[in-house]
Amino acid sequence: MADRYLVVVKPSDNVATAIREVEAGETVEIQVGDEVRTVEVREDVQFGHKIAVEDIDEGETITKYGTSIGNATEPIPAGTWVHAHNVESNYGRGDLAGEENAQAVHE
Amino acid sequence: MSDTFLGYERPDGSVGIRNHVVVVSTAPYANDTVKRTADIVENTIPITHPLGRCQTKPDVFQTYRTLLGYATHPNVYGAVVVAHAGEIVDGDELAADIADTGRPSDSVNIHAEQGVMNALDRAVDSAREMVQDASRMRREEHPLGELTFGINCATSDTTSGLCQHHATARAVWKLIDEYDGRGVFAETPEFFGGEEELADRAVSEAVHDEILERVEHWNDRLLATGYDVRGAQPTPDNMDGGLTTIEEKSLGALVKSGEGPIQDIVDYGERIPETPGMYIMDTPGHGAESVTGIGAGGAQFMVISTGQGHTLSNAVMPTIKVTGNPGSAERVPEQTDVDVSEALVGDETLDWAGEQLWDEIVEVVNGKLTGSEAMGESQFAIHRIGPST
Repeated sequence: MADRYLVVVKPSDNVATAIREVEAGETVEIQVGDEVRTVEVREDVQFGHKIAVEDIDEGETITKYGTSIGNATEPIPAGTWVHAHNVESNYGRGDLAGEENAQAVHE
Repeated sequence: MSDTFLGYERPDGSVGIRNHVVVVSTAPYANDTVKRTADIVENTIPITHPLGRCQTKPDVFQTYRTLLGYATHPNVYGAVVVAHAGEIVDGDELAADIADTGRPSDSVNIHAEQGVMNALDRAVDSAREMVQDASRMRREEHPLGELTFGINCATSDTTSGLCQHHATARAVWKLIDEYDGRGVFAETPEFFGGEEELADRAVSEAVHDEILERVEHWNDRLLATGYDVRGAQPTPDNMDGGLTTIEEKSLGALVKSGEGPIQDIVDYGERIPETPGMYIMDTPGHGAESVTGIGAGGAQFMVISTGQGHTLSNAVMPTIKVTGNPGSAERVPEQTDVDVSEALVGDETLDWAGEQLWDEIVEVVNGKLTGSEAMGESQFAIHRIGPST
């Protein structure tokens, strides 16, 4: 039975929100749409933080609520903690605005 | 269930849930006289700020609109305006505009009175008389549809979009759909990432386009800084709570507005139109500034949907704080009015959460003090657009 404390909002999401403390080494079952996915947890995830429910490539879109919440800045294997250290935003990026990749800013 | 509440009718036809007298400063140099007046006279609220002088016109208009919005708020009986000297935000003009709504108003000028002591004497006398007159009013029955429901979030985290924002959405749409009331939410930079879906809810093409234009304008302002906005949006406390990017924060934040149609998007501090339905006010995500703007817009009360817990509040417009994070009731216990975390980590439903919140709203609009009111907590911060000059 899927763990009700690991919440995937929409079936197209590639992250789950943990509403309990999750520990490295746990094997968890996560409901993603109609399917229950088994994920090996690779690192501790605090209450409220996110965990990858599938392998995510560098540059790939992180999807929650069925919508982009940013892009992976490194490969993120399933079971990894997903947060500011491995995801970047596409909005308010004044640091990129003058550069060649500025067109990515407003996608 | 009753479709009325007990409120105070104003001469302009609006209905308040409180019966305050405000003492309003027009410039920093009148702030101390305003605070001293409010210290002396019971049941008065001081409105002070660092603006009103040496501002460019867009800021002058915004400051004036916001101060007038408070002085003529449905929850306000009357207002004493205190000015320092001749200011671009003019005290006499403000007092006259307040009087135009039928409310008692007075204008006190420190220079004209020849000093702070004389000005204080007059302001205290005027405020004292208003408070005594206001105390003679009694609450009377009015339709719930007279209410405008303000919505804001505060120290959001990942629980916000999963739980408490659903409760807020259910409560505001109950007021709109069942009682023909109004709702207003704000914080335009917190639409980033969800703006297309939001704009699609607009009642017209013009409103649709304006939502997208205003979102783009905010993003352009942030790009012009040359820095990544992360740290300011999302904030460090948002990130502690698990929110990774402004997009994630926005998509959660928009949950509190529900899914129904958007009537219009109004300027910061602008009065919300009378037509029932949901409105957007164009404000920053800075809570003290967005809440101040919504208060000026005339919302009689506000639900602040918080993740990690917050003291964010407003003395004129009572703020009801709801959380779904079981930890936040422990962090800011005295100001957590409604804890619906059982709908997130327990066995209750989101419909139950919405009902819990609605029941508390009914209590507060009929006179129950919120935690913030009882604690005397309030912040007032008018958003500024451009430079001082």
